[in-house]
Amino acid sequence: MAASVTGLLKPWTPRVLLVRWSRYNPYYLEPEPRKEVYHIPETELTPEQKEERELKSVRPIKAATNSVTSSVFNDPVLSKFVNMMMKDGDKIIAKGIITQTLENMKRKQVEKYHKAPEGKKAEIECNPYTIFHHALENCKPVIGLASIQKGGKFYQVPIPLTDNRRRFLAMKWMITECRDNKHRRTLMYEKLSQELLAAFSKEGNVVKRKHELHKMAESNRAYAHYRWW
Amino acid sequence: MLVLTLTGCVDGVKGSGKTMSLCHAVHYCSKQGWLVLHIPDAHLWVKNCKELLPSSYHASRFDQPIQASNWLRNFRTTNEHFLSKIKLRQRYVWTKRESTEEGRPLGELVDMGVSRVKSSSDVVGAVLKELRLQAGGTEGGFRLAVAVDGVNGLWGRTTLKKEDKSPVAPEELTLVHNLRKMINNDWCGGAVIATLSQTGSLYAPSSAYLPQELLGEEGFDSMDPFIPVPVSLYSEKEFESCYLYYLDRHWLQHPHSQTEEGKKELIFLSNRNPSVLERLCAFL
Repeated sequence: MAASVTGLLKPWTPRVLLVRWSRYNPYYLEPEPRKEVYHIPETELTPEQKEERELKSVRPIKAATNSVTSSVFNDPVLSKFVNMMMKDGDKIIAKGIITQTLENMKRKQVEKYHKAPEGKKAEIECNPYTIFHHALENCKPVIGLASIQKGGKFYQVPIPLTDNRRRFLAMKWMITECRDNKHRRTLMYEKLSQELLAAFSKEGNVVKRKHELHKMAESNRAYAHYRWW
Repeated sequence: MLVLTLTGCVDGVKGSGKTMSLCHAVHYCSKQGWLVLHIPDAHLWVKNCKELLPSSYHASRFDQPIQASNWLRNFRTTNEHFLSKIKLRQRYVWTKRESTEEGRPLGELVDMGVSRVKSSSDVVGAVLKELRLQAGGTEGGFRLAVAVDGVNGLWGRTTLKKEDKSPVAPEELTLVHNLRKMINNDWCGGAVIATLSQTGSLYAPSSAYLPQELLGEEGFDSMDPFIPVPVSLYSEKEFESCYLYYLDRHWLQHPHSQTEEGKKELIFLSNRNPSVLERLCAFL
């Protein structure tokens, strides 16, 4: 739909200029924050990249959001997690919790690394970013359930999930688990680091919830025909 | 032989490593066998005091029993071997029934101060006076190092209030009064190392870091003449060594932080400030 509309529309600036909103005229192109793309010299560009560059010199480009940086340490998955943890738009507190979590995880792992004998040192993973990504991978469900109405009754039908939905469910389960099932005195970053380390080694409540979802889907296998898409 | 006391004042921007330099100096002094009088933060004595007793020794002054007894406890653990060697040169009377005679070891005085919390501030004053008298002595003489962190707290204002809600000036606190006498250079046989600190200071703007701004006129005059020790941000070599230390201890785990580009980015983000660099590398 956007493709057909794009042919008809001309570049226009609305009377009220929406700079930080997310709804743009489909004519606008996405910004490119990575530095490496701009460092490729003219001669090494492929024909597609040359076309893209020419297009970008003509078309208007959307404003980049504040959370997107050209820094090498920028991680889109982590930014998404920070946004999901944020309450009332307070990104500073959410980002602070995440940084404390990463530091805590790194501290525990590096302590274990230094205490371990020589042979076992290579197995211990110290990088908090890889632990975070692997833990999230272990929490992602493969199959989901949908409530479908058939003959007056609602059945839980197993359905395939898109990648975005799986990532969203993993993050949501992680955050709700850490918010609900913790002692009054433990801080959020402490509980989060414990859960992430447990999920990294495939233990813990979030992975258990994923397994229970899989079991429910397996038991409701007979209703798979109710899905029509 | 009289050795005059030197005063050194460590100043620098926030997070440039003043307290760490002070700790290095204190460690060196104690390794050389000096007696170290370390006050970790003078600002803790002028704010957030729960108990303020009127002093028994001097009518218009106030005592702080908790802070004084804490400090005496720490003093006892840091200078164990000096406590039995130094003998008192004067008789101190605490109440009608308690007094400490001449010639008793300093350890007894300190123990009494820790156990009797009410007179602990006066005990601190007595300890400081004894050490001041005996520091430059020829027989059994020891060198005294007075290390004060956040010395600008002794000459500013306090947040403490008397019972009629009028503010307390720092001179009216026994601990501060006695400490000021130590920092005055009129005794000999040791050194005074002081650090300015804006972080814990009261009623000081956050951009102030020079001695004149933080100490005020009074403080500057009493510290005079002092040797200013400027602590600047990391130089290239220092940054290099800090970065290599983090790499060696496996603290920088992000794969990009171990590349040249990541290092340039760290220099840019932290502006070579030690504390900012530490906070950045914590999660990288």
